[in-house]
Amino acid sequence: MKQRILNMIWQPETFLIVLLGILFAAMGRLDASFLQWEVQRALSSHVWELAIIAIPMTLIILTAGIDLSVGSVMGLSAITTGMLFQKGLPLPLACSASLLVGIFCGFLNGWFITRMKVHPLIITLATMAAYRGMAEGISHAKPVSGFPDSFTWLGQGDWFGLPVAAWVFAVMVGLVLWMMHGRAFGVGIYAIGHNETATRFSGLRVDRYLVALYTFSGFASALAAVLFVARRNTAKADAGMGMELGVITAVVIGGVSIFGGRGTLIGACLGVLLIHETREFVSWHWNRDELNLLALGILLILSVVFQKLLRHKQGSAL
Amino acid sequence: MTDTTTANTTPPLKRALIFLLSHRAAGLFLFILLLLGIVSVVNPAFLEVQNLKDIAVQAAPVCIISCGLMLVLVSGEIDISVGSMMGLLAACMGAMVSESRGHLPPGTAIVLTLGIGVVIGLLNGWLVAYAGVPSIIVTLGMLTALRGVTEIVMGGSWITDLPDGIRFLGTGAFMGVPISLWTALGVILISLWLIHRTAIGRRIYAIGSNPHAAYLAGLPIRPLKLFVFAWTGLLTGVATLVSVPQLSVVDSGIGVGLELLVVTCVVVGGTAVSGGLGNLSGVLCGVILMTMISTVLIFMKLGENATYWSRAIQGLFILGAIIADHWISRQRKS
Amino acid sequence: MKLSRQNISKGWITTAFTAVLALLFTACGPGASNNESSEASASSGDNGSKKITICLIPKKKGLPYFTSCAAGAELAAADLGNVELIYDGPTDGSPEKQASMIEQYTLKGVDVIAVSPNDPDVVAPAMRKAREKGIKVLSWDADAVQDARDYFVNQATAQAIAHGMVDTMVSDIGGPEVKAEVAIVTAYLTAANQNVWIDHMKTHIADTYPNLNLVAIKPSDEDQKLAFKVTQDLMKAYPDIKGFFGISSVSFPGAAEAVKQSGKSGEVMVTGLATPNSMKSYVKDGTVKSVVLWNTSELGYLTVMVGEALATGKLSSGDTTFDAGKLGEKKIAGDHVLLGDILVFNQGNIDQYDF
Repeated sequence: MKQRILNMIWQPETFLIVLLGILFAAMGRLDASFLQWEVQRALSSHVWELAIIAIPMTLIILTAGIDLSVGSVMGLSAITTGMLFQKGLPLPLACSASLLVGIFCGFLNGWFITRMKVHPLIITLATMAAYRGMAEGISHAKPVSGFPDSFTWLGQGDWFGLPVAAWVFAVMVGLVLWMMHGRAFGVGIYAIGHNETATRFSGLRVDRYLVALYTFSGFASALAAVLFVARRNTAKADAGMGMELGVITAVVIGGVSIFGGRGTLIGACLGVLLIHETREFVSWHWNRDELNLLALGILLILSVVFQKLLRHKQGSAL
Repeated sequence: MTDTTTANTTPPLKRALIFLLSHRAAGLFLFILLLLGIVSVVNPAFLEVQNLKDIAVQAAPVCIISCGLMLVLVSGEIDISVGSMMGLLAACMGAMVSESRGHLPPGTAIVLTLGIGVVIGLLNGWLVAYAGVPSIIVTLGMLTALRGVTEIVMGGSWITDLPDGIRFLGTGAFMGVPISLWTALGVILISLWLIHRTAIGRRIYAIGSNPHAAYLAGLPIRPLKLFVFAWTGLLTGVATLVSVPQLSVVDSGIGVGLELLVVTCVVVGGTAVSGGLGNLSGVLCGVILMTMISTVLIFMKLGENATYWSRAIQGLFILGAIIADHWISRQRKS
Repeated sequence: MKLSRQNISKGWITTAFTAVLALLFTACGPGASNNESSEASASSGDNGSKKITICLIPKKKGLPYFTSCAAGAELAAADLGNVELIYDGPTDGSPEKQASMIEQYTLKGVDVIAVSPNDPDVVAPAMRKAREKGIKVLSWDADAVQDARDYFVNQATAQAIAHGMVDTMVSDIGGPEVKAEVAIVTAYLTAANQNVWIDHMKTHIADTYPNLNLVAIKPSDEDQKLAFKVTQDLMKAYPDIKGFFGISSVSFPGAAEAVKQSGKSGEVMVTGLATPNSMKSYVKDGTVKSVVLWNTSELGYLTVMVGEALATGKLSSGDTTFDAGKLGEKKIAGDHVLLGDILVFNQGNIDQYDF
């Protein structure tokens, strides 16, 4: 029993919580106005897109994969919405079309990965360039704005006190947790991450899982794109530029091992929270945007080093 | 039994295609010739010596860094921080020689710039090899962090007063050939020597193609990985020194997106991301091809909107390379 | 091998943990500390003896053009004495970041926000929200959506800038009688400022200089190397070209360098907009005869003056002139405050300026 409790404590998530606690305390000392609920709620609008994409990214990284194309899928979906809207299509149709685009892009990723047996890193690096390039080429880098208020409400409005996007995120997290908890789906993902070959031999349809996950990732990116276009009232090919770095940083900081098989969705959510608060606070307090880049990069590397040390502490027994 | 039968029944065209794709340099070379042919029909001015020289000068820094990155990939790792590294090294170099800032003699600045490149490379390598952090994470973190440091170093103003000593590296020529081309040649020769004639080169390939066997064989995996990253850092410094002084102003956005270009060149050139495979001639052809493309687009007079498709073309090329590799291995199996 | 069940139950524990900790610290946080940083003022509007916070947001932090504007702004803050100046902006020039920053400043409750928007539509909602909270919102250097800001501090009319460049080019080539091909190297094809200038340039050429032929407009995407290459390629594609307009602070030096390295300095003329420091070497060696800009330091100075006047009520809508202290009296046209005229740097005066 004692061992089980000790095992529970020496988890990355615990340390994440402690770190968050320390961070909040420090922020409170330095600039208390930052922690007010009104401020936090308003600032949270900046992070929901990243949070939504982080959900499938967590699952993908758990299978020892990676998806670098999420930002580009976001851009492609964004201009789909924009250009169809410009052509006069009613918005619900335009948004559905961009969701389909995202699903298709994600499916293509998954198809390549499972058929070509190439590491997801290089495939998604290629599609990252290809999808973004298509977005730039099709739209000629011209933005589309002037969306109606009924649409921008999705990104800027509130629903029962929280941004709409927050609810979307909550629903998605709930759904995924439910699908993973004690079900074959959850066990399967961890199994693939631990040992893909063994999992294949055990009869699990690994390819189907992977294609499903990457398709989900494409869908989430498209969803994030629609919310982003609504929030910023602009559809541009460079939407989501750099998003993949933020999402992967958040997920990895959240304790999900890049080698697969370890980590939890809750941990990833904590990672998103940590990234968000750090980014916003550095901006808020020091008013020096360049510090943000530095802080984020260091945070990513340090957290992984820290997790490695934790694993040594836990012992080699998995 | 089956082999000889299939070898006889595979149509010669298909066999030629397989050969070209698996001997990547050959295939790419032919493709480049094909492209040259098409462009020169549309716009003969493309083949003028000055134009070809300009393309070569542009390709030089990419080539230099690709030599380093190829070894990183061969050893089974990846490095996507080279673009931000170049940005930082450019800023440091500029700050050191600028008359209004560091006012150091060019020679000192050159040595220091290379030194900083090596140090960053060593940091990358140490984190990967000794701290056990996956290289994608390390270099992802570096990519972000170094960009921030570059902004801090620049401090809101660009370097506009580079002394002639440094400018010469970018604009000067020796026997009619620009310095950057000589440097690229030198780097290529050294890399060839490193790969084919030294134990280091062989061992890097060994680590990449079968890490476990290499471990069991007692190869010094960690020092070797440290080496490839430090080597890439050094080469990035070299590339910075010969390409940035081409312009008179050092701004803070240098090198953005460079890592994608270099990885594209290396992968299109036949280097396997899983490690263990890759040759320099393929990488060279990859560099020439990717550098040519944007100029080709302009000379084909496809209109200014064509520039917006250049990133899509990059991605399609990597995809093409991957699909080609997959197709070959399937052919081999049957 | 950890089963997912264990992971998930761990997850619930950790969530509960976080919630408790977060609540704890949020509750303790605001009450516990009294050293609020000077930037976080509680409300906007009432200014009495308290300092007025003015946030100056450039398009892209790190561009020397904006750094020199900020220097002027600092001077104004010092001269006025009751102004607290915050200068911060996105280092990557992203409009979304600008909007996020505006939202943060709104939450902090600053007095004035002055922004040079990268994309007016993207920052408009955030600007409007700020105005709703009583914050004075200005645009400077580049205009925003009209109903999203109180005033636009303009350095010179787009027409004056465009005409200035074209007139300079014509005189550099040798006069309006010379038949010549020219090209424009711009920033991004979607850059709002540049596009307005390009339109005015095209009109001016059509109206006044029929012998001038604009053959190409190419983007350089804020990449000097690209501007260099584009100019090189254009010189090869159009061997008779006589002049290049580098209408961004990045494309101008790149284009000049390309002309210089091709050995055609003096044959092919280059002019455009950039800071004098970045073009000094080209002006000295004759590659570039004139550099068009405006007094960026005064632009920053004026912006802060207008901001402070708005916050203290010295400036109200309907005014047609504005007393800008040591800058003199400035004209107000509707909701545009005009700095004045363009400035042309050439061999004669470029040494007097250092930015």
